[in-house]
Amino acid sequence: MMNKILVIFQKEILDNMRDYRSWMTGLFWALFGPLILGGMIMLLGSSIRENVDESLVLPVLGAENAPNLIAFLEQQDVIINPAPADPEAAILSGDINVALIIPPDYGEDFSAGETAKVQLVFDSTRQSAMVDINRAQNLLEGYGNYIGLLRLSLRGISPEVMRAIQIEEVDTATPQSQALIFLSMLPYFIIFAIFNGASPVITDATAGERERGSLEPLLINPLPRGWIAIGKMISAMPFATVNLIITLAGFAAVFRFLPMEELLGIQIGLDIGTLLAVFLICLPIVFLACAIQTLIASYAKTAKEAGTYLPFIGLIPSLPGLALAFLPVKPELWTMLIPTFGQQILINQFLRAEPISVLNIVVSAFLTIILSIVVTFIAIKLYEGERIITGK
Amino acid sequence: MIQVQGLSKSFGKVKAVQNVSFSATDGQITGLLGPNGAGKSTILRMLYTLLKPESGSAQVDGFDVSQSPIEVQRRIGVLADARGLYSRLTSRENIRYYGRLHGLTGESLENKINSLMQLLDMQSIADRKTEGFSTGEKLKVAIARTLVHDPQNVLLDEPTNGLDVMSTRAMRQFILRLRGEGKCVLFTSHIMQEVAALCDQIVIISHGEVSANGSPDDLRRQTGHENLEDAFVAVIGSEEGLE
Repeated sequence: MMNKILVIFQKEILDNMRDYRSWMTGLFWALFGPLILGGMIMLLGSSIRENVDESLVLPVLGAENAPNLIAFLEQQDVIINPAPADPEAAILSGDINVALIIPPDYGEDFSAGETAKVQLVFDSTRQSAMVDINRAQNLLEGYGNYIGLLRLSLRGISPEVMRAIQIEEVDTATPQSQALIFLSMLPYFIIFAIFNGASPVITDATAGERERGSLEPLLINPLPRGWIAIGKMISAMPFATVNLIITLAGFAAVFRFLPMEELLGIQIGLDIGTLLAVFLICLPIVFLACAIQTLIASYAKTAKEAGTYLPFIGLIPSLPGLALAFLPVKPELWTMLIPTFGQQILINQFLRAEPISVLNIVVSAFLTIILSIVVTFIAIKLYEGERIITGK
Repeated sequence: MIQVQGLSKSFGKVKAVQNVSFSATDGQITGLLGPNGAGKSTILRMLYTLLKPESGSAQVDGFDVSQSPIEVQRRIGVLADARGLYSRLTSRENIRYYGRLHGLTGESLENKINSLMQLLDMQSIADRKTEGFSTGEKLKVAIARTLVHDPQNVLLDEPTNGLDVMSTRAMRQFILRLRGEGKCVLFTSHIMQEVAALCDQIVIISHGEVSANGSPDDLRRQTGHENLEDAFVAVIGSEEGLE
């Protein structure tokens, strides 16, 4: 039995290795994740850094009305620019992020000890301007509080009177955990790469064979059809596994060679141990990916029809991983019961170097393998039916 | 040796094959003749175990096609209408794949491949990928693949379909050669001349049923027509779908 499955396996490997174009396409998907992630880190990382490091540039209209305020801002490392004549238009057109308008009666009100008004002009829907807007608001409020406290002190009132409560902010988000949002997207890309590594091979070996008329003669050979299905399915596994390895190596390279320290302010290391653990956790998914796609390909009438289903099949199990980037889920046992979802949580835990329950690993691997066996069994049943020949 | 008793098969409401019985003996060429769509290919597909008979039964060398398909598959070589070669594999690799699936290995397999290639005069295309082969070259590879395990029963579905004159001649000589080796040869055709020229026994199929069965002489006698062509038309009832 093993011999003939091996014959099928060897032929499919040889046949598919010669089909450069289709496995190169599969390979592209393996690099897709690391390239996208690397690009995102570069873009987002550099924009975060720029905003924090650079001085706030604040266009001001009527700077001459409030020399003390301007001096205070300049002390706080703000670069004061003359604002355009119509600041609102300039903000709408995106030329500036925020503008300060100091009316002529500011000095009069201020000297009289009354509330002096200034206008901060901005567009709160512009995400890219939020850093500048918040900094300008904070600085102005800071100046107002500072002057207010000075006035109370002059009147002999303790500044404490003004502070009924004091908020102490304790933010548990370390720079590392913020950057880990990026890591949460990893499982999504990894699973996507596994599915896409297997799909060209499986499409060609089942739906493609039927289309070219070579499946019918093949099924006349003296071996149970189930063995043929199994041989074809396992011939896709090396391709899926290679894709998994390439994706992991790609992510390791991204984290190693991009200046993470400079871009995100943290160091993320994917060491060999973590990579190996993630690889082993994903191996049952290789089985599942090959089994599901064999089932689809033996159901589809043509390679083209199979080609329309397969990308979605790869997308569905990887979607929870994308959600994980935004909705944290605790690694409870029930999550391990869902094939591919459990692995995505486990991968995240490994990347975050959290303590991992061995039970969770075993349960998730076990259920994924059970599901794969069930799916393989259904695919074999399809192979044994007449539909695989007649297409009806 | 192929025996068929009361074989029937429907696809949905269409009765493709109804109560077909005949037998094909070793050392003889048996032709299934009938118009396109008469059910010839469906009969053949049941014989080579791809389709399951609805009722009736068929045996190859005594093994039932439904009960022991693997034993049947070991004893038949099939040249299907769709040649189904692997275009990224060479001729030799195509033949070797089927040889290995039949359990042949090593030197005996390679020797067998070489002798088939010599027989079919295809050494020049032995190690080329079959992509871009001419119809005749593809046919040679497919024949070698069909015979690699030296089957006692050879089933050919429309073997001369789409061939030019030279290839058709070569194919006919090849079929006669198989008979000379004592094989049981069963082939389908819708071409009267071909069947008349080759067959020891003719089974005429129309609308999924056997309308006549016998040697060319039997058919002439039964219908009272000296000309075989007239005999066929008399049996089938019309000339539709014949050549």
